[in-house]
Amino acid sequence: MRIFLQVRPILAALRSHKTAVLLLVLEIALTMAVLGNLVFIVYGTMQRSHTPTGVTESQVGLIQSIGVIGEDNPGTVAGNLAAMRAAPGVEDAAYGFLPLWHADRSPIFLDASRQHPAVHAYEFMGSQGLNRTLGLRVVRGRNFTNTELPDVMDVLMGKVVAPVPALLTESLAQRLYPDGNVLGSILYDGTKSLRVIGIVDHLRGEITGSASDDDSLVYEFRVGAQNMGGGYLVRSQPGRLPEALRAAAAALQKANPGHVENKVLTMAELRENYFQSGLAAGRMLVAIMLILLVVTALGVSGLASFWVQQRRRQIGMRRALGATRRDILHYFQMENLLIVSGGVLLGALFAYALNLFLMHRFELTHLPSHYLVVGALALWLLGQLAVLGPALRAAAVPPVVATRSV
Amino acid sequence: MFGYYLDLALRSLKRTPILTGLMMLAIALGIGASVTMLAVLHNLSGNPLPGRSDVLFHPQADPRPADLPGAKEEPPDDLTYVDAVNLYQMGIAPRRVVMSSNHLPVRKDAPDSPLAMYTDRATTADFFAMFGVPFLYGSAWSAQDDASHAQVVVLSRAMNQKLFGGGNSVGKTLVIATKTFRVAGVIDDWNPQPRFYDINDGPFADAEQMYLPFFTWLDLPQDYGYGPMQCWGNDPNAGLHDPKTKQCTWAQFWVQLDTPGQVADYRAALTQYSAQQHQLGRYQREPNVRLRGLLDWLDVKHVIPVTVRMQTWIAFGVLLICMVNTVGLMVAKFLRKSGEIGVRRALGASRRAVFAQCLVEAGVVGVAGGLLGLPLAWLGLWMVRQQPVSFAASAHFDPSMLGIALALAVLSALAAGVWPALRASRVAPALQVKSL
Repeated sequence: MRIFLQVRPILAALRSHKTAVLLLVLEIALTMAVLGNLVFIVYGTMQRSHTPTGVTESQVGLIQSIGVIGEDNPGTVAGNLAAMRAAPGVEDAAYGFLPLWHADRSPIFLDASRQHPAVHAYEFMGSQGLNRTLGLRVVRGRNFTNTELPDVMDVLMGKVVAPVPALLTESLAQRLYPDGNVLGSILYDGTKSLRVIGIVDHLRGEITGSASDDDSLVYEFRVGAQNMGGGYLVRSQPGRLPEALRAAAAALQKANPGHVENKVLTMAELRENYFQSGLAAGRMLVAIMLILLVVTALGVSGLASFWVQQRRRQIGMRRALGATRRDILHYFQMENLLIVSGGVLLGALFAYALNLFLMHRFELTHLPSHYLVVGALALWLLGQLAVLGPALRAAAVPPVVATRSV
Repeated sequence: MFGYYLDLALRSLKRTPILTGLMMLAIALGIGASVTMLAVLHNLSGNPLPGRSDVLFHPQADPRPADLPGAKEEPPDDLTYVDAVNLYQMGIAPRRVVMSSNHLPVRKDAPDSPLAMYTDRATTADFFAMFGVPFLYGSAWSAQDDASHAQVVVLSRAMNQKLFGGGNSVGKTLVIATKTFRVAGVIDDWNPQPRFYDINDGPFADAEQMYLPFFTWLDLPQDYGYGPMQCWGNDPNAGLHDPKTKQCTWAQFWVQLDTPGQVADYRAALTQYSAQQHQLGRYQREPNVRLRGLLDWLDVKHVIPVTVRMQTWIAFGVLLICMVNTVGLMVAKFLRKSGEIGVRRALGASRRAVFAQCLVEAGVVGVAGGLLGLPLAWLGLWMVRQQPVSFAASAHFDPSMLGIALALAVLSALAAGVWPALRASRVAPALQVKSL
């Protein structure tokens, strides 16, 4: 309790250093504003880089095989998939698309007139087994059966008439049918109709941080003796992805001398490429945050040690009049706490103002208030650490100083 | 007088080494952060082709339908095939180039050699002379080669290294998209940033790995896209397999115009061409042309990445905080000298003299902080170069930044010093002298 008794004398003492105190408060407020927003931006990027796509990422890889027009090529899609499945370590293989790789949203309509798109969703199409290869989890309805799939050429040429069976993500189902009556309903994309047969839990086309990332639909087609380049997907046995992907790529290249294997990537590498520039920018911001913290700490401890030096005589007097070392220590710590608290309060205002500016200029979202709490705690801690040295030095001032003149 | 103030300043700073050190460090950190971002910004907005940028111009025409929803006044960046060929054949400009890019399968001209994809720029002969591309071996192909759809290729140094071990490969052959091409030349490292001549893939994309004659490239059996296309109308097949469609723009076009007279003539010819196309009914719009110089073009296209602009704002925010910090420390420092200032005032120094003396002290702190900030900025730029971002390579320390860094440091230290100096000069001499 003795600490709190010091508050009034501290405030009285600070009143005679108004300028320096105000500047320190201002500096802490600015630091808090910048820090709060930067942490928000960096943490958002980091969080996104760990958002799962819904695919069994540790077991999935991609081989982009490009067909060269005019080159003879004996390989067929069905044959290629069989060759890949025969490679050591490979559990399954499919032809098609996967998240974070040229994912694009297409308009989805609820009626055949296709006047107003109900939603824009990621469409994942691929050969029979795409679903198994990606490791999607059907939580309602049923999975595809091979007999109901349309032929690949019919799909690509836009010649399918009957509705194509499709799986929707939970998120897309919610958006299209808030009443929950989704199974069996018919949807339309640009060229064909789709019948919803089941719901998968998650499948994110991209990870932008928006809830609509998870709006996806999946359908499969039957492949056979066509010569097709594109994305060949591998699902490995657990823990064997790198070797399985290498083996599958070798088998695929051997079967297709007229194809170029342009990219061979694990899902982890796709993810790394996808987030590369965002994380790089994040690292720059972290460097800036460190500079800010150092500068603020320098300012706090510089001013504190100046004040300690200036008040040596007063400290000596207080000691001579019976104050303990602990009292002196607490005096400076309390003083710092009060100043930083003032800065933090003003800083919360500044942080919101800066956030508004950033939202206006750089499409940022609203700053949640818990970032301010964390920022305040960080600054309190920083202030206490910065003042500790000068405060200890103050506490070490012997009472005898009071009896000497300057 | 200045020398005397300098002497006083140095003495005064020496007396409080910790406070002085903290001020210098604060300025140095602020300068380090802001100069790093300034250097990045400066490099990104720099001139990709110094010495040539004044004579390079980018013509644009407007073939879009009159009622295109959401269309801006600015015509498309690129030309349709028809316009590109028409303007290419219009022989007014001393040099002109039509081009695009994609990637193509390449193999060495030997049995069983593996295929690999390489990026290519399809262009016409003037490209190399117009943009000042340096050759290691051989030379560019000729306008005759363009006209006869010759199968020749110019390789980049890196691709020549990969395929031919870096030797003189002129005259050797390669199989590109199943056709046999003869190597006409190998260029040295050449990668102007921003890549002004084609910013469709981002302004800091790398130069392509090989160069093919434009019209030969169009004939190739290939379907790897014809560069990013902008299409309109209802034809779902437009541009998909037919780059010559009238509904898609995709060809980059540049001209070299050496005198203001040539520029005026070309502008008139471009407008006249548009008017003529309008009369023929091919253009629905009245002539809407642009003929911008290289630097104007980069200006209009806002090539600086948003993240860089944001980081620059933040870096200057840091500098501001560092300045506030320095103001606080200086107030403390100058007030501490109140006694000394009182004596000087009592001995006849004017307020102005005290003010000047304090400002000189602030300036010294600024110079020292700036000198300390330079290695920090250098370190910051090194860090930027380590980042996997497209513009990383262009983050280097420019000598001109040296002066800017020092000037910025001194200015910010002086700005931070004004108010504390003003306060110090207001010290009442009588009061101070009495309390001594």
